[in-house]
Amino acid sequence: MIRVLNFFCVALMGLSILALYHVSERTRVTQMNLTKVNHEIHAARGSIGVLQAEWARVAGPGRVQELAQRQGMSDTTSAQLSSFDLLPRRGDAPLNNSPVRNASAVVPSSQAMIHPTLSPQPISDQAGF
Amino acid sequence: MREIPGVFQRRIIIGAVICVAAFTLVGIRLVDVSLMRGNGRSGLEGRAVVARADLVDRNGELLARDLPVKDLYARPHVFWDKNEAAHDLAAATGTNEGRLRAGFLNTKHPYVLIARQMTPAMESKVMRLGLPGLEFEPSVKRYYPDGRNAAQLLGATDPDNNGVSGLEMGLQDHIRAAEDGTPVTTSIDMRVQFILAHEIAAQRVTFGAHAAGGIVMDVRTGEVLAMASLPDFDPNARSLSGEDTMHNIMSQDVYELGSVFKIFTFALAFEDHSMNLDEVFQIGQGYKIGKYTIHEAEHMPATLAARDILAQSSNIGTSQIALRSGGVRQKQFLSRLGLLSPIQTELPEHRQPLFPSNWGAIETATVAFGQGISVSPLRFVASAATIVNGGREITPTFIKTDADRRGAQLIKPETSQKMRDLLRYVVTNGTGKNANVEGYDVGGKTGSAQVPGEHGHYIPHALRTSFFAAFPIENPRYIIFVLMDQPHGIKATGGFALAGYTAAPLAARVISRIAPLLGVPNIAPPTRVADGNS
Repeated sequence: MIRVLNFFCVALMGLSILALYHVSERTRVTQMNLTKVNHEIHAARGSIGVLQAEWARVAGPGRVQELAQRQGMSDTTSAQLSSFDLLPRRGDAPLNNSPVRNASAVVPSSQAMIHPTLSPQPISDQAGF
Repeated sequence: MREIPGVFQRRIIIGAVICVAAFTLVGIRLVDVSLMRGNGRSGLEGRAVVARADLVDRNGELLARDLPVKDLYARPHVFWDKNEAAHDLAAATGTNEGRLRAGFLNTKHPYVLIARQMTPAMESKVMRLGLPGLEFEPSVKRYYPDGRNAAQLLGATDPDNNGVSGLEMGLQDHIRAAEDGTPVTTSIDMRVQFILAHEIAAQRVTFGAHAAGGIVMDVRTGEVLAMASLPDFDPNARSLSGEDTMHNIMSQDVYELGSVFKIFTFALAFEDHSMNLDEVFQIGQGYKIGKYTIHEAEHMPATLAARDILAQSSNIGTSQIALRSGGVRQKQFLSRLGLLSPIQTELPEHRQPLFPSNWGAIETATVAFGQGISVSPLRFVASAATIVNGGREITPTFIKTDADRRGAQLIKPETSQKMRDLLRYVVTNGTGKNANVEGYDVGGKTGSAQVPGEHGHYIPHALRTSFFAAFPIENPRYIIFVLMDQPHGIKATGGFALAGYTAAPLAARVISRIAPLLGVPNIAPPTRVADGNS
């Protein structure tokens, strides 16, 4: 009985040693893979950083203006810009060919389209029109 | 009675002890492998720390970033022909050949630095040389995507990546302390910065000015949205060329700003109730104070109402108004507004204002119209913001903040309201007409100051022109200050180079472009797109 137990213990120890070696080796390989992946992550982050910086350069306002001028475009005048807050409610918009009222920028009233309005005062009532 | 163990029993006990010890070791090792070393961090990750955090604008747009580059070192003792190696490496990297040759022939140092922050193109050239003994050391280079646009404001770093000027130096602690990947968010708006720099550069060319600059600031939060100073420099190049300079005229220089200073004289008069706007003052051809005579920059009527003294920028009228309060009170008022002490912001560059040590009657008169006192444009902007923001102290900042940072009440809110009305009057009826922008109700003041020369005398016909603007003037959110150093008159302005012809239209163009971006509503009456509106 004791011999069997001894044999069992020695066999268990041998198996444990093998298992330990296996775990150790697997850990070493995993560590190497991890290091490699970390290297790749680091390199990828570096590349992403470079690309983001390059994007910031090519999408910068200076370059966009240069390209726009090359295409014959000019700055939008401030009067052509407005806020969504200043848009009229649906019910306030005229349904016919009536002229635009008190917008900061309008197109000529002869065009057959629905124009937004910002105040109840018709543009034709104002000085200069 | 206990039996003494036999030989076999002792062997069994020894074997059991060995087994237990072995299992204990295995257990310890398993715990070590699985728990102690399995926390997911490697040594490399710890090393891959970016030396400086990114700088971004208020909308998250990239302003400055460290990019990976390489430094090149050589072990000269392995070169077969050191002179040839020095020649080839100098040609490939642009390094001084003499320095390399001297380094290679000096046997004391095993390593010689060939070049820092090499570009991939340079690295490829070096690799093609096929020289032995070369080592590439990973490093970083600070890169500024927008180049010159915010060069003086952002500043620069040295080859060791330490900030040496501008926000790179002023925000060094923030940049170093930022956690990995967390950018430092500045108050700058790159769109506004570009427009300001672009318009100033164009106007500087038009009028042939020596230098020019501008600032855009939020009067409630104190955030500086843009600051431009020309001439500038390329922050991505390691050397300055031509007229390039790292000198930021908006914070590093102090100037006699001229008539823009009159806003403080009028604010003081409102505070002291020493004048009402309809009161008429004698102007005439000159105003004598002791042995000195105050003159006007332009022809003026014989009499002017107080409001028109500011609108037409009369030196004589402004002097009379200032003298009613007196020098002591004037000095105290300007000191309270901070105009007699340097401004402290995140920008490391600042200068002490210059003002008279003996503040008599003539000094009171000249300071009233902005001569005899020199402050930095940034200092002026901070104090001028108090005039229009309800009268409360504000310190400029270059860090993004959403909070209303207005501090102590320095002047009465009623005074601030009167000043806003008066500044609007200057633009609708005075010297600032060219600063008017349809739909944005701009208020402002022109300034055309004489320029002191080397020997303390003013340079004949040389002017330093500026314009201070606030919009929308009923409840200002932003102020703009633009400055041109010695512009020259052109045919289109009838040869005039006064602020109304040089600085005011510049401010108008900047406002018309940035106001829509900043969400300031246009309240202009309707205009016809087809006819080309304004």
